[in-house]
Amino acid sequence: MTEYDLAIIGWGAAGFAAAIKASELTSNQMKIALIGTGELGGTCVNVGCVPSKFLIEASKNYKEAKSPAYAGITSSATLDFSEFMESLNQFVSGERETKYTSVMKNFENIDLIEGLAKFIDNDTISVNNTELKATNFIIATGSRTFIPEVRGLTDYYTSDTVWKMRKLPGKLAVIGSGEVALELAYAFSNFGSEVHIFNRSNRILKGFDDDVNSQLMAALKSNGIVFHLGVNFYEIKNEEGKKDIVTWTGTFGDFDEIIVATGRMPNIDGLDLRAGGITADNGIVVNPDFRTTNPKIYAAGDCVRQSLKLETLAGKEGVIAVENILGGDRRINMQEVPWVVFTEPNVASVGYTEAELKKKHIEYDVRTVELKNVVKANILNSYTGIAKIISGKDKKILGIHVIAPMAAEFITEGVYLIKNGLTYDDLIDTIHVFPTVAESIKITGQAFIRDISKMSCCMD
Amino acid sequence: MTKTIELRVYGMTCDDCAKHVSSGLKNLNGVKEVSVSLKDGIAHIRATDTANSNDLIKLDVFKGQYRAQVRSVKND
Repeated sequence: MTEYDLAIIGWGAAGFAAAIKASELTSNQMKIALIGTGELGGTCVNVGCVPSKFLIEASKNYKEAKSPAYAGITSSATLDFSEFMESLNQFVSGERETKYTSVMKNFENIDLIEGLAKFIDNDTISVNNTELKATNFIIATGSRTFIPEVRGLTDYYTSDTVWKMRKLPGKLAVIGSGEVALELAYAFSNFGSEVHIFNRSNRILKGFDDDVNSQLMAALKSNGIVFHLGVNFYEIKNEEGKKDIVTWTGTFGDFDEIIVATGRMPNIDGLDLRAGGITADNGIVVNPDFRTTNPKIYAAGDCVRQSLKLETLAGKEGVIAVENILGGDRRINMQEVPWVVFTEPNVASVGYTEAELKKKHIEYDVRTVELKNVVKANILNSYTGIAKIISGKDKKILGIHVIAPMAAEFITEGVYLIKNGLTYDDLIDTIHVFPTVAESIKITGQAFIRDISKMSCCMD
Repeated sequence: MTKTIELRVYGMTCDDCAKHVSSGLKNLNGVKEVSVSLKDGIAHIRATDTANSNDLIKLDVFKGQYRAQVRSVKND
């Protein structure tokens, strides 16, 4: 029987990060099995962040080319959707090769084993009916799309399969109102599809305050997206290639395609976790050091019981699991984890929301500044959006939430502020580049100490 | 009473590495004797009962090029 120092089940972001970190920390002396199925790289590079951001950026480019935002500029643009989607898939293949397949060639200590793994006992797994032992394990099997049970819901795309689409739908229904649903809806509306969002919940996004959500919803509505929230749909009718969504309040018809984006669920069904002494409850249960209920086995990424499912978080968890296996004592402060919805404007967030602080009975101050106060946003003709900072009574910044163009590019400033326990005085004292949308964070900090309408540009 | 702790030590590439690890392991109170095998990447440490095996892998010598994991602890 082959024995390894470390067996990693899953070759997505968490698994790769763990395998490479373990190799680095041990001068490639740790013998590692990296076990997985499907394309190397898992969700992010193949069907997640990478293709979806390519889709969004291209759709913005098309929309801007068709409708330039500045006076005196006219243009026309045409779209060959099939050709574009081919290029998207080629781009994904290239990134997968560069960031995953080629990278693996640097690590002779890592054996790639294709197959589904399942636990036999607490230090043995079976892959393709071959048993394999390891001193340490990391489970990093990721997640898959969750499909709700709806009668007639048989012909649909998900965020895993939409990349196979070659014909732009004239009328598109998106079921779900989380970040994946909103991003896909936004991209297709830019391309010219008539997009309708359906969800049983009466709100969009989880984990944001209502003012942030309402700003985003207004922006998406102005992009042409139609929302049907709080709608109980119970049947999909497929007739002559068109799909009708039947709800208790009426039927919405003639959709060319449906995208189901109602969340993700952990990939843990086939692992026989019980045989490995591992407890799961809507995801693998872990301690703050990412150790499972079996002390020899760690878990990282989307397969863990946690609400945030992010590639960056998965990679970090993979790294920390390895460091802890090798004697470390590391944790992740979830209040320092940034996350973004890549619609336009972007929604970018780090730290506490007001709702979370109220629930914890923590006193706070909050300032919200509209984007019209930010010169660069006005240059970009982007008036919908806000920057919001929440501080403790000691002036320490507890949360930053921004709806603005390119907010994904500058929310990391908020991460540094929170991670280092800095105050809005520190923020104000830091020179920001003018004109930038990132300046919105500084202006919002200034709103704690003065009336920003009585302030010139670039002053502290 | 003493016990013998076996560590898997990663990152050793030469005799000097083994000497460096051996010397570093002796910095924990209670360590009586250390034997390091470069070939196997294994260290055996004979220590008093009061020595905590998990403290061994947190020693300064394992904060840089070398990393270690406790593989077994046996009473002598």
